[in-house]
Amino acid sequence: MPADYFEEEEFQTQFSGKTFRRILTLVVPHIRWVIGFLITIALVSAMDAIFTYLSKQIIDQGISQHNAQVLIQILILYGSLLVLQAGGVFGFVYLAGILGERVRYDLRRKMFNHLQQLSLSYYSKTPVGWIMSRVTSDSERVSDLVTWGLVDSTWGFMNVLTSMVFMLIINWRLALVVLAVLPVMFYLAVEFRKRILYEYRNTRKMNSKIVGAFNENISGVRVVKALGRERENLKEFKVLTGEMYNHSFRAAWLSALFLPAVQLTAAIALGAIVWYGGYQAELGGMTIGGISAFVAYVTSMLWPIQDLARVFSDMQQAIASAERMFSLIDARPDIADRPKAIDPGTIRGDIIFDHVTFAYDNDEPVLEDFSLHVRRGETIALVGPTGGGKSTIVNLLCRFYEPKNGRIFIGGRDYTSLSQRAIQSRIGVVLQTPHLFSGNIRENIRYGRLDASDEEVVGAAQLVGAYDFIMRFPKGFDEEVGEGGNLLSVGQKQLISLARAVLATPEVFVMDEATSSVDTLTEALIQKGMENLLQRCTSFVIAHRLSTIKKANRILVIEHGHIAEMGTHQELLRIRGKYYQLYTKQFRHQMEEAFDPFTEVPQEPNPSYQQ
Amino acid sequence: MITVTKTPDLHEFNLQTTVSANRLAGLWRMMQGFRLPYLGATVSIGISAAAKTSTYLLLKYFVDTYFVTDVRSVPLYLIALGFIGLAAVEGSFSFLSGRLAAFTAEGITRRLRNFLFDHIQHLTFSYHSKMQTGELIQRSTSDVDALRRFFADQAISVGRIILLFIINFAALLSLDVRLAFYSIIAIPVILLVSVYFFRKVAKAYEAYQEQEATLSTTLQENLSGVRVVKAFARQSYEIDKFEKDNWEKFVRGRNLLRIQAIFWPFSDLICGFQMLAGFLIGALMAINGQITVGTYIAYAGLVVWIIFPMRNLGRLIVQTSTGLVSYNRVAEILKQNREPLEEGDVQPTHPVKGKLEFEHVGFEYEPGERTLDDISFTCQPGQVIALLGSTGSGKTTLVNLLPRFFEYTDGRILLDDIELNRYPRKYLRQQIGIVEQEPFLFSRTIRENITYGLDREVTDEEVERAARAAAIHDVILTFQDGYRTLVGEKGVTLSGGQKQRVTIARSLLKNPRILIMDDSTSAVDTETEAEIRGALENLMVDRTTFIIAHRIQSIMNADLILVMDKGKIVQRGRHEELVAQDGIYRKIYTIQTRIEDELEKEISSAG
Repeated sequence: MPADYFEEEEFQTQFSGKTFRRILTLVVPHIRWVIGFLITIALVSAMDAIFTYLSKQIIDQGISQHNAQVLIQILILYGSLLVLQAGGVFGFVYLAGILGERVRYDLRRKMFNHLQQLSLSYYSKTPVGWIMSRVTSDSERVSDLVTWGLVDSTWGFMNVLTSMVFMLIINWRLALVVLAVLPVMFYLAVEFRKRILYEYRNTRKMNSKIVGAFNENISGVRVVKALGRERENLKEFKVLTGEMYNHSFRAAWLSALFLPAVQLTAAIALGAIVWYGGYQAELGGMTIGGISAFVAYVTSMLWPIQDLARVFSDMQQAIASAERMFSLIDARPDIADRPKAIDPGTIRGDIIFDHVTFAYDNDEPVLEDFSLHVRRGETIALVGPTGGGKSTIVNLLCRFYEPKNGRIFIGGRDYTSLSQRAIQSRIGVVLQTPHLFSGNIRENIRYGRLDASDEEVVGAAQLVGAYDFIMRFPKGFDEEVGEGGNLLSVGQKQLISLARAVLATPEVFVMDEATSSVDTLTEALIQKGMENLLQRCTSFVIAHRLSTIKKANRILVIEHGHIAEMGTHQELLRIRGKYYQLYTKQFRHQMEEAFDPFTEVPQEPNPSYQQ
Repeated sequence: MITVTKTPDLHEFNLQTTVSANRLAGLWRMMQGFRLPYLGATVSIGISAAAKTSTYLLLKYFVDTYFVTDVRSVPLYLIALGFIGLAAVEGSFSFLSGRLAAFTAEGITRRLRNFLFDHIQHLTFSYHSKMQTGELIQRSTSDVDALRRFFADQAISVGRIILLFIINFAALLSLDVRLAFYSIIAIPVILLVSVYFFRKVAKAYEAYQEQEATLSTTLQENLSGVRVVKAFARQSYEIDKFEKDNWEKFVRGRNLLRIQAIFWPFSDLICGFQMLAGFLIGALMAINGQITVGTYIAYAGLVVWIIFPMRNLGRLIVQTSTGLVSYNRVAEILKQNREPLEEGDVQPTHPVKGKLEFEHVGFEYEPGERTLDDISFTCQPGQVIALLGSTGSGKTTLVNLLPRFFEYTDGRILLDDIELNRYPRKYLRQQIGIVEQEPFLFSRTIRENITYGLDREVTDEEVERAARAAAIHDVILTFQDGYRTLVGEKGVTLSGGQKQRVTIARSLLKNPRILIMDDSTSAVDTETEAEIRGALENLMVDRTTFIIAHRIQSIMNADLILVMDKGKIVQRGRHEELVAQDGIYRKIYTIQTRIEDELEKEISSAG
């Protein structure tokens, strides 16, 4: 997929009938509402034309005939219709508006639910921002098309239609003159809308660049000042604002020219009508009311034309939006439960990687012909350089991805014969970049097991040594963690996500650098607290921390997708290979960290180092 | 060569002068230089409105002469041309007004954007550390856009509606005084009703927007936490959570629409019946012969333009009042004082030598909060000074005084025997290079990041030489686009160590006389540590260097080691001297040697 695939594309798509039909199916479940608002808007629109006709009658039947009786009758009719129209306005605003909200709601729900089914591979290929704008702005654009778009076009169409009918009734020759300029007006309006839309899009693009420039310059202000780049930055920024100015100025003046241009076309028709009408008046073929009705019809023809043009040009954008949205809805998960997938109730037992090969997309294989037999209850430590394949092993084990070749057995079964839920709900995973959700600490820990009691939540926090820092918050477990947990430090977030995993009482435990930002003292606490848990589970640990590694039953040095060395800590040190090098380097590093020379009593090194 | 030039923007309008407690006065001042076009926009609107009104008066004339009295002193074609001509006048002036208003609004906005951008990058460090990035961005973009809308739309539309009213009302008066006054009875009601409703709409809309933000957060957290969701198989829980927020947004949207669904027909009725009442009175007058048919027709056409726009006036009034809040938020930034970059009574033309003397220097961020206290030491050009201490001991604050990011509040600092605060900040910053602990790179190409801030053109060879010395050249070549590779979201993500080496290359090119280095390797892979160390040593050659150190290895060769605690120097000297003394330094040192012993023990126990 090309890199710019996810740029907010310029959509100049062909009118796609298929997409359009699919958009229409969105409102099928609410067809009564649609019919409801279409009828009311048609009524409202026809009423406008009738009003003009009634105004003509006021002049011709009332004033010209000097008949106050008829005048009052007409006005009573006018007034009643006005009330009826107001009812119609209420009807279509209410029906179309609420249906619009409803369709947005439906679309968002549909996309969100679908997103929950998609595999990680989809997420690794698709930026969050791209998905976000499908769910938020595209759904709005599409629902606007099927509600307000329908309202505006029906109104415009009905208005033109009824006005034409009345004009034909009053004087068919003059009506034909109007009919002749209509296409010109419509064409002009559409052309203007297209150009204005184009400029608006450019303005939006420039605007996001300007926001980006502000963002970088403010978050990098220290560097800007240190390097004295203020003047250069301003120069670059002025280019952006200059372009922004050009686009938005052009958009604004095109908009300002739009109505007058269409209006002038109408005025030409008006001139023709006056000329011809005056000529006919000499012959006695045209009434005063008739001429004034024509003037009113022609001058107000502008508005339906404008609306129709807007719907017409917005439609292309909305269809493009719909296409992107449907592409999300149509995306199939790479990993899906097999038809007869089962949930055996437990996945305890040995875990076997049988000649597993895996590659992300079509790149080089990250793991090649990888075989490993882990016995139930073993703790396996994975070490080695970044990109060597450690995290891939974990990803495959959790079935976030499936092997391209070879098989993985859990508890004696090929794991593709199990449901994803059966596996994932029993594997506790703690990742290096902990992710919390908005809400308080308690809710975040309880995410691991939704029916856990408050005591169990506290118990889990104590087990991982998070209890003390939590209680130091003014609200304790009820303290809010902020968006994505950003009110807490990384270390604190790691502890909470560890507690969350512990609470889930998993059968297999996976820690991917789970405590990398936790200080050494707390780390020791965690070790102690989790001893029991780790003994009960089969566990996989990726870590830099030596204490964690040393305790493992087996240590695997993973390099270039292969097992380079395997054995216990003692065994591996003895052969003085890669593990030995890694260990000595890490040892020095960690010991230096362990001593904080600036506290009065230097910390004793972690006891677990000195067995 | 150091060339200190005058501020280039002196001739440009200083928007700081527009800050005013009265928001409307502030906005008026902001219009300086654009008032004439804006006046033109207003006048044009008036002309355009007058032309529209004249159309109806012409219609009156046409009907009365051709249909009623049959005088026909003016030929028919002239009247027809008159209609077209008036439409042309109306259209051209409406366009002219739109264009002038756009010129004004966009021009003011551009000037404001540029000024804010420059202003913000010139604000002091203490301001930046107080303000949140998101808040500043919000004000510089959304609030500026709200001001743009004020100039482009709200202010001019209010003017338009008022002018339409005045001109059309005058026309009505000329037709018939009594009729004119009967036609505006409901207008105060319409205004009040629309202000009332649009206030409600504004509130409901705000609630709707808030829920939209909540929903986005829920969505975003779900998407970025997808691994967690899957790991705990919490899909249905997440679906329920989203459903709740999603439904709430629907409910709030429905509330908003209910208000609208009531307002529009309700105001339609008020306007409609006011209009009908006018029709009735006018028609009766026409029947009784008090006015001509032509007058009635003109009246029926004009009255619409007086009544219906009033509904929008209510909307505009509400929008303007919420829009004015944005002025306050922008003015809040504008009124901050800039950090004068060029100010200083010595204007050296040569690079500094790099001799520094600190004499009883103290610093307080806030009065009473002493971050640095009684710091005294001297260093000769080319020497290496190491600062050792825990977080919060004042190391970083101390080096921040050198480029005058902050001004010391006590004692004095001499650079080449001249007091530091007599040098212009710009000059000092040209002389000082900084390698940060957490380097910040810009979303540009690697080459642009390396040459960032250089005021001269550099050749590719020079850039590569610097990159080689910084041990980053080979890494760069592994990227597909080499030096043209974009850094950041749209390009490659560099590791902490790679970023640091890019900034080292940048500092090498800048070639400063004084160097400040935050020697933190904790964020760096163990494999690259040695490479970075080498790169840093290359950089230090021949420069006065301040190292903020976390480990002893990197500072054993320093000319002066300052051990800091709570803003004070607690120990000083060379490595050998400090090791011989009893104190923190020796403690650290012994720990380091102990580590080696332990490692030895550990390995031998493995056999």
